[in-house]
Amino acid sequence: MSASQSAVRSRAEAVKVSRTFDWLILFTLFFVVLGGYHIHYMLTGGDWDFWTDWKDRRLWVTVAPIVSITFPAAVQACLWWRYRLPFGAVVCILGLLLGEWINRYMNFWGWTYFPVNFCFPSNLMPGAIVLDVVLMLTNSMTITAVIGGMAYGLLFYPGNWPIMAPLHVPVEYNGMMMTLADLQGYHYVRTGTPEYIRMVEKGTLRTFGKDVAPVSAFFSAFVSILIYFLWHFFGKWFAGTGFVQSS
Amino acid sequence: MKLIKDKVAKLSFVALLVTVTAAMFYAPTASAHGEKSQAAFMRMRTIHWFDLNWSKDTVAVNDTMTISGKFHVFAGWPETVDKPEISFLNIGIPGPVFIRQGSWIGGQLVPRSVTLELGETYEFKVLLKARRPGDWHVHTMMNVKGGGPIIGPGKWVTVTGTMGSFTNPVTTLLGDTINLETYNLSNTYFWHAFWYGLGLVWVGYWARKPIFVPRHIAMEAGKADSLITAGDRKVALGFAVGTIAIVAFGMSSTNAAYPVTTPLQAGLLRGMKPIELPARTVNVKVEDATYRVPGRAMQMTLTITNNGDSAVRLGEFNTAGVRFLDPKVHTDETGYPDDLLAEEGLSVSDNSPIAPGTSRTVQVTASDAAWEVYRLADLIYDPDSRFAGLLFFFDEAGNRQMVMVDAPLIPTFI
Repeated sequence: MSASQSAVRSRAEAVKVSRTFDWLILFTLFFVVLGGYHIHYMLTGGDWDFWTDWKDRRLWVTVAPIVSITFPAAVQACLWWRYRLPFGAVVCILGLLLGEWINRYMNFWGWTYFPVNFCFPSNLMPGAIVLDVVLMLTNSMTITAVIGGMAYGLLFYPGNWPIMAPLHVPVEYNGMMMTLADLQGYHYVRTGTPEYIRMVEKGTLRTFGKDVAPVSAFFSAFVSILIYFLWHFFGKWFAGTGFVQSS
Repeated sequence: MKLIKDKVAKLSFVALLVTVTAAMFYAPTASAHGEKSQAAFMRMRTIHWFDLNWSKDTVAVNDTMTISGKFHVFAGWPETVDKPEISFLNIGIPGPVFIRQGSWIGGQLVPRSVTLELGETYEFKVLLKARRPGDWHVHTMMNVKGGGPIIGPGKWVTVTGTMGSFTNPVTTLLGDTINLETYNLSNTYFWHAFWYGLGLVWVGYWARKPIFVPRHIAMEAGKADSLITAGDRKVALGFAVGTIAIVAFGMSSTNAAYPVTTPLQAGLLRGMKPIELPARTVNVKVEDATYRVPGRAMQMTLTITNNGDSAVRLGEFNTAGVRFLDPKVHTDETGYPDDLLAEEGLSVSDNSPIAPGTSRTVQVTASDAAWEVYRLADLIYDPDSRFAGLLFFFDEAGNRQMVMVDAPLIPTFI
């Protein structure tokens, strides 16, 4: 068989090879994204995603969407503009969450005994689904960045509230008021994460009284738009073939 | 050539097997917390822990123990470490093998960070509840913002029982008693599984048809529009609307189920109450201090002036948690960790009582393997080669007086 001859001999065989190729690529993509995105999110989101006593209504809401919209934007750029596949963001979040859960369960709980209800990851799926759908329906990077990016930031807090609210129930503890999440942070000793390192409601925004979560979410949504643009371009550049020598 | 390659491959395989087998038979537990690796000056010139007491050596799961004692915040705090203006009383254990049920400085609960004053001495207590069985090295610890964790002395404590029986009941302000160990776990699993499942369905919808090759060919052929059908659009719209509806429903139903929630609490506690020590009547001037490397001994020339009304003798030198005692004056009866206790490690050239109103210059030697074991001798390699510690004098009635010393240290190598 010469190099110019086809490797398959029938249409059925071609379909079979194509499907095998699909699963190989999807499997590889999933785990490459899992590894890269997980490291990225651990380094940039870090403690905000690790501990319930860091998941506050201001900085967690602000930081998590901004640093997590990166890979979804880039992978979307590759899968949409090359294959018209609208699951770039969701496949990223599936990879990230699988990695996060393995890490939290095997390391945080299995190795260092932190209870899972203290160190579970944030839920990023609602924003990812909407991000994919907006790109698919509009076929526009700009509209996806503005509408999808904004939705990604805005859906983060309400998407996590059903999981977090029970931990914000107050307790009286030796004469001080805390939330259950605060108490988890105090009870389950972390030698390298002292109380002062917690980034809880630092900064201004005091004029909004107690309703700071929506303000933080809008700010996060706005920055997510900008970050989406940036990483979408990264993705486009990375998915290009300009640097491959033409045959 | 092939024979050599085969042999190398075979030997490599045998070596790998031997390594794996050896690791299976001997894999010791890493039990220390790097306390010996922390720069000696950090341990000698920042927080001085003393009068420490670990209430139990063995404790069953769900039972409690306390670590109590005092710490002195060194007035000559090194310039290379941030001042303890924002500090946190912590505990040095390998993960939450205990839970911290309470911690107090000067009787004040300190779940928050605190401000400590240089030169002051504070009383502290930490209440721990055993959670995971094993032998654990339990250290005192103070985290200082800009300085890092400053670890104090540690003692081995054995926890018996099973972790499965551990409970952590907490009563909320709404009157519900929950087990914080497992609280909210099924809710967390449910929501994560639900959203993960929905994500899988979304990817599965697209992956049910050929994904990469035919779509790429169609894209290259300019037939991109044919790849998304009207049905696809309807399904996608359903996903988006459904997602937003589920998020809205989840938010509103959660607010109905938990009408009272409060934001996370954080803050800084100022005004920690120090111990009011009696007026000091013993003054000490360090004339010189040397560390003799081969002998693992520190020698100080001290001029001691007794301005009190009772004769005093030097009984103890405490630095970085290592206690050097003169057994003729003072012995330990608290069960202090053996590796940190040099029961006969302090010798004084003339340790007869120093009468009131008199001064005496003496040679004091603190010698013990602990200098090397705890890597305190590394002080001579620090950028600011000074030592510091607490001297404890005892009068005829057994009353104790604490004096802080701080001076340059000259190493001798012969």
